[in-house]
Amino acid sequence: MKRLLVLAVALAALGLFLAGCGEEKKADQVLKLGTMSPLTGPYAADGNDIRQGAEIAAEVFMEAGGIPGYSNIEVIPQDTACDPKQAVAAANKLINEKVTGVVGAYCSSSTIPASETLAEENIIMLTPASTNPKVTERGLPYMFRTCGRDDHQAPAAVKFMKDVEGVKTIFIVDDKTTYSQGLAEGVAMAAKEAGIEVLEHDHVNQGDKDYSAVLTKVKAANPDLFYISLQNSATGALMVIQARRMGVTAILMGQDAVYHPKLIEIAKGDAEGMFCTFGAIDKDAPSYKEFLTKYKAKSGNEPGAYSAYSFDSATAYLMAVKAAGTTDPVKVRDELLKLDFTGASKHIKYQENGDSGSNYTVYKIQDGTFTPYWNSLTGEKY
Amino acid sequence: MDFEFFIQQLINGITLGGVYALIALGYTMVYGIIQLINFAHGEFFAAGGYMGVILISYLASQGLHPYACLAIALVLAMGYCALLAMAVEQLAYKPLRNASRLAALLSALGMSIFLQNGLMLTQGVYDKAYPTEITSGGFHWGLISVSYMQIFIVALTASLLVGLNVLVFKTRIGRAMRATAQDKVMSALVGINSNRIIAVTFAIGAGLAAAAGIMVGLYYGSVSYTMGFVPGIKAFAAAVLGGIGNITGAMIGGLIIGMVEIFAAGYISGEYKDVFAFIILIGVLYFKPTGIMGENVDDTRV
Repeated sequence: MKRLLVLAVALAALGLFLAGCGEEKKADQVLKLGTMSPLTGPYAADGNDIRQGAEIAAEVFMEAGGIPGYSNIEVIPQDTACDPKQAVAAANKLINEKVTGVVGAYCSSSTIPASETLAEENIIMLTPASTNPKVTERGLPYMFRTCGRDDHQAPAAVKFMKDVEGVKTIFIVDDKTTYSQGLAEGVAMAAKEAGIEVLEHDHVNQGDKDYSAVLTKVKAANPDLFYISLQNSATGALMVIQARRMGVTAILMGQDAVYHPKLIEIAKGDAEGMFCTFGAIDKDAPSYKEFLTKYKAKSGNEPGAYSAYSFDSATAYLMAVKAAGTTDPVKVRDELLKLDFTGASKHIKYQENGDSGSNYTVYKIQDGTFTPYWNSLTGEKY
Repeated sequence: MDFEFFIQQLINGITLGGVYALIALGYTMVYGIIQLINFAHGEFFAAGGYMGVILISYLASQGLHPYACLAIALVLAMGYCALLAMAVEQLAYKPLRNASRLAALLSALGMSIFLQNGLMLTQGVYDKAYPTEITSGGFHWGLISVSYMQIFIVALTASLLVGLNVLVFKTRIGRAMRATAQDKVMSALVGINSNRIIAVTFAIGAGLAAAAGIMVGLYYGSVSYTMGFVPGIKAFAAAVLGGIGNITGAMIGGLIIGMVEIFAAGYISGEYKDVFAFIILIGVLYFKPTGIMGENVDDTRV
């Protein structure tokens, strides 16, 4: 009898719990948005920019009225450490947290496996920073990309070398990640097609601080231009400082991952005159200025390279959910494809494959800031 | 041209090897005295680098001469890391002195993760820039260039190594250290406070790591909270290569690892430098399992 009573109470309790789940009112619903980026490890700087960009986007969106039917937007940050295994674990954790959308990841080598895990649950993923072409070329319906692609970045860089700087020989160094090596190989290929001689394409290891051996080779090869394809700005700064100290006089050129205010802060005068390819961000546009004020006010620091892209990715997702009135991935995807707006980073119009187009611009480091120098779309200097 | 290339790589190798040697000394001293591989040692190196930049920036803002800043910061950061290491030893290793070696090893790994994340939380995830202006410049002969910083690193490494040798082989405390390394119980019977000696050993090792941290910061221009990990592993390999527990071995091991890395990167490819560094390590251990200088050469062990 007693056992029966316990069972009855247990069933009743369980029933109540189940009923509780069913009765959850839409008005109390919280929209859960995950972010994935390296919050620890050598790429934590860029990773935190991405987390912050999405968090601020959610705050700004709530202040602007939020989403009808949702009481709040919760951003759940996850650490990928730029490690494919940890990225998949982070994706699974976000699935357990029942997020409906994810902004991330940073490293292409994390985004690719994580997106496959998220795709199994039909969760929408918008990457603000992974530029490897493969990210959007696997036929995943819910994969979107707010930044540009490396197969646009590499030709843009090479076109600049040839047409603007008249470069005849280059030396390429990468640090062997899916992103950095992929891009370096793209540059090597485009350079050969353009008739630029690639003197050597060497690699360094992630986590290295000492590049003296490779730089001695660069100095001996004496190229017109030294192309640096590294995974982040901190290693980029190390490379630049050591190159100049070693007496490398070649033109220095980097890519989007070394484009970060920290590069200049650390390398100081040694970075002067260096070129970097990065998406064209119109810093005079009202949408950027608005983003800048809010970002600074809420985070207390300057936005990093990918803050604006992350902000836009999160905003795009929230706009799409608002327009769809639901988090159903099929409907949100349709709304994302319909979006056509000017964000903080650029004008965003997602294409069928999830890309949003590239608009690479060559920046030159002048007087301690990145100054737009040459536009790859128009082929003209600013 | 080829000769100049070789000389330049040789200079690069000596500089890098010097840094590894300084870090390796801490590993080898601690191993020598309590047979513990102190995985947190790389973190002392990083903490020293951070303390250095904080002190140099502060002192420079007080209007001191750059070299005075550097000297004071070096001494203070070494002192700070020595205290930190003694605290770590008290907290994480002393209670496990009589536990299994594995327990102490895991405690060391945990301490390493704790310190690294502590640095991240207190100092932030961004790399901190070192004021490199003080030490910029150098000599150039054709293709060869030697920066003042390289000379400074090699000179400081050499003098610290000489100092350490004098300390261990010529002073009372050094004799006590060697005695404790040989037999803790026996040395305690003759009146040596082995706990104090162990703490001192940790302090000296961490002080040397802090010096290496500051030199790396000045040489490469920045420090980051993850900077301790890779050099820590390399220095550990250097200590094992030279014969763990042996001071001269750690110096030689450090120089060999540095040289092999640089020459592999210079003559083969940058991506193979770690491969060759560890091939050398495996090769030496295969034929001489106790390392180049050999472990447990009683008189020289610390």
